[in-house]
Amino acid sequence: MKRKTLISLIATLFIFSSVLSACGGNNGNNKQEPDKGSANPAASSNASPAPKVEEVDPFSMTLRHTQVGEAKKFRLAILEDAVKKTEADVPGLKIEFDPVEDNANRFTKLPAEMTAGNPPEIFDLFGGVGDAQKYAAAGRLLDLTPILEKLGIKDSFIDLSSFTYDGKVYGLPIGSSQEGFFYNQELFDKYGLKEPKTWEELENIMATLKQNKITPIAMASKAAWIPLMLANTLWSRYAGPDVNFGFENGAHKWNEPEMVAALTKYDEWLEKGYFMKGELGYEYAEMRNQIITGKAGISFDGIWSSSTYADPAQAGDMVGKIGYFPMPAVPGGKGDQTYINANHSNGYGFSSDLNENEKKAVEAFIKNLYNEEFQKRGLKEDNLLPSMKVEGDMMSLVADPMLKSAAAAISNAGGTFPVFDALVPSEVNKQLEIGIQQLIARKTTPQKLLDEVQAVQEKANSK
Amino acid sequence: MNDTLRNGYVYWMFVLPAVALYALFFMYPMITTTYYGFTDWNGLMPEKFVGLDNFVQALQNDMFVHAIRNNLIFILFSVFVQVPLIIFFALLISGVKRLRRFYKTTVFMPSILSTSVIGILWSFIYEPEIGLLNQFLGLFGVEPIYWLSDTKTALLSVLITNGWQWMGFYIILVLAAILSLPKELNEAAEIDGATGIQRALYITVPLIMPIISVVIMLSIAGAMRVVDIVLVMTNGGPAGETDVMASYMVLQATQTGQYGYGTAIAILIFVFALVLTGLYQLLFARKQERIEY
Repeated sequence: MKRKTLISLIATLFIFSSVLSACGGNNGNNKQEPDKGSANPAASSNASPAPKVEEVDPFSMTLRHTQVGEAKKFRLAILEDAVKKTEADVPGLKIEFDPVEDNANRFTKLPAEMTAGNPPEIFDLFGGVGDAQKYAAAGRLLDLTPILEKLGIKDSFIDLSSFTYDGKVYGLPIGSSQEGFFYNQELFDKYGLKEPKTWEELENIMATLKQNKITPIAMASKAAWIPLMLANTLWSRYAGPDVNFGFENGAHKWNEPEMVAALTKYDEWLEKGYFMKGELGYEYAEMRNQIITGKAGISFDGIWSSSTYADPAQAGDMVGKIGYFPMPAVPGGKGDQTYINANHSNGYGFSSDLNENEKKAVEAFIKNLYNEEFQKRGLKEDNLLPSMKVEGDMMSLVADPMLKSAAAAISNAGGTFPVFDALVPSEVNKQLEIGIQQLIARKTTPQKLLDEVQAVQEKANSK
Repeated sequence: MNDTLRNGYVYWMFVLPAVALYALFFMYPMITTTYYGFTDWNGLMPEKFVGLDNFVQALQNDMFVHAIRNNLIFILFSVFVQVPLIIFFALLISGVKRLRRFYKTTVFMPSILSTSVIGILWSFIYEPEIGLLNQFLGLFGVEPIYWLSDTKTALLSVLITNGWQWMGFYIILVLAAILSLPKELNEAAEIDGATGIQRALYITVPLIMPIISVVIMLSIAGAMRVVDIVLVMTNGGPAGETDVMASYMVLQATQTGQYGYGTAIAILIFVFALVLTGLYQLLFARKQERIEY
């Protein structure tokens, strides 16, 4: 009798599991992964007589975004609208949001998911060797080239290079960014300072603020990418705007004299106490607080910060009293000194493991988010510079003075250079992050720091 | 029934599920980990066997050597600062007649809080401008100290927090040992005229040596694998100053995608911990006399 019970139990389990796997087979009908089917032949034979999937079968997709917190509320609203349109376009589609903090997504969560092979269907993605191109090489990202061709927007983007691998596009930048100095207009007026046109004037601002017991440069270095923004533009002034391209092919070395000179300048500012005290313990938001509260005079930041400074809920009565200017020319610096940093390296990528329905949804999502209307909305509502070439004078839409300055900087510039981290492998980036923090902690020298980074770069290049 | 139990295969049938689960969840990960430690693997592409390269690279890396140093500091701090304090507090609490349960609960409180909560709580205390500690020091005219972001004070700040978290747990262990000692010994000594301190030093502490030895060993093992408090409070910063071996491993494996290298470091941590606790067992713990009363 006991044996009978056991047999019937096993039989029930078997039936139950084959029913379950049949369901799975239906949903994943068009999955590209062959192993899943072959691993369970019983399931596929069971699945075949099942009725065909209907078009309106509900399915859900996960969208990982990083629009978390007060400072990114405008961006989130725009994304939500694009998602609503997409859901209306694709029958049965439900998109679930998965908000994750930017750094946690980029450096912890997404890499782990990529390794395990289970990223969300749609996710926030950075371009470059350390992110998009690495994942594309491993076959984890959806090739978007056919979709772009179908939608006719293949040539609409200003720069897709950091998302391109082997001639195919694997991600789309949502906007473009620029990095430069923000300043507190009230403090400038108080001490008779004006926007600097020369290097001398810039250093004079720092010295004047320091004399008056105001922190010259607000800087939050708990996360090392923040001080590296300033360092990146500084070394591109000293060593030339093309320097970032040269580390990988050996045309430039991290420890060449101009690079050392750039970081020696950074070191000099540290030595003079120009940066805010205890910077290694502060989060990014503190940097803007210091400018808004007038504790610090200037900060080096991305133009995306202008949306915070323009929002009364965050900037209070300082709205309209924050200005922006690009880094002036460095005396004796190599190359064109008007170049400015411009990035098209943050946007969305898609998992390569999608069925036909999901691919349709991706296409609709791209159609609804990457178009003229949304690029304009991004610019108008979120102070986000466009990543796509849009007909007509976009800048006439801009009222914000900071963004107007940024636009002027671009039009006066001889060209743009990308941020280094889109061009170097993650281990080089990490070594640089450690190095800059050690420099800030006064525990290394520019020469030693750059020698170490160069060693890591050479090891990575030889792979 | 009896026939069934005499059959050797039956035993195997009972043991097999457990062995299979053990192999799947413990043996297999251990073996693959060991293998990946000898490869260059970024988690995405096929791994490449590189022999001992990862281990050589780790031991030549300043950051990792610094992390080992920090683990050793954690050990020294536990053994020479924390353990004496644990014994001191346990003796104090065992000596009180009233409110003993209240003290026991109070000292044990930190141990039931999660490390994240403790890390955040102490980050508020250490906050340079409005933090409790600087506010207090400010009363004496001390300039604000950047506890967690200054390389001079960061490690000490983390050590204190970590000590605070775990002391209660150990105090309860030691206290239990003290309270289980026969009262006659102490009473006899009291009649002979020994002072409180003498009784503590010459009677109580020697008698609870076995439990102290266990506490020391647990502290060493704990200090070898400490990581959560560091990640929550400083994430290894400022500039790698508070990095311990495990936080360095997390950084290398998950943030730069060098999973092979990260695994090699995991193996090193395992080996170090094994060697240290083994040495302690051999050199000190085994020499303890058996105490009977």
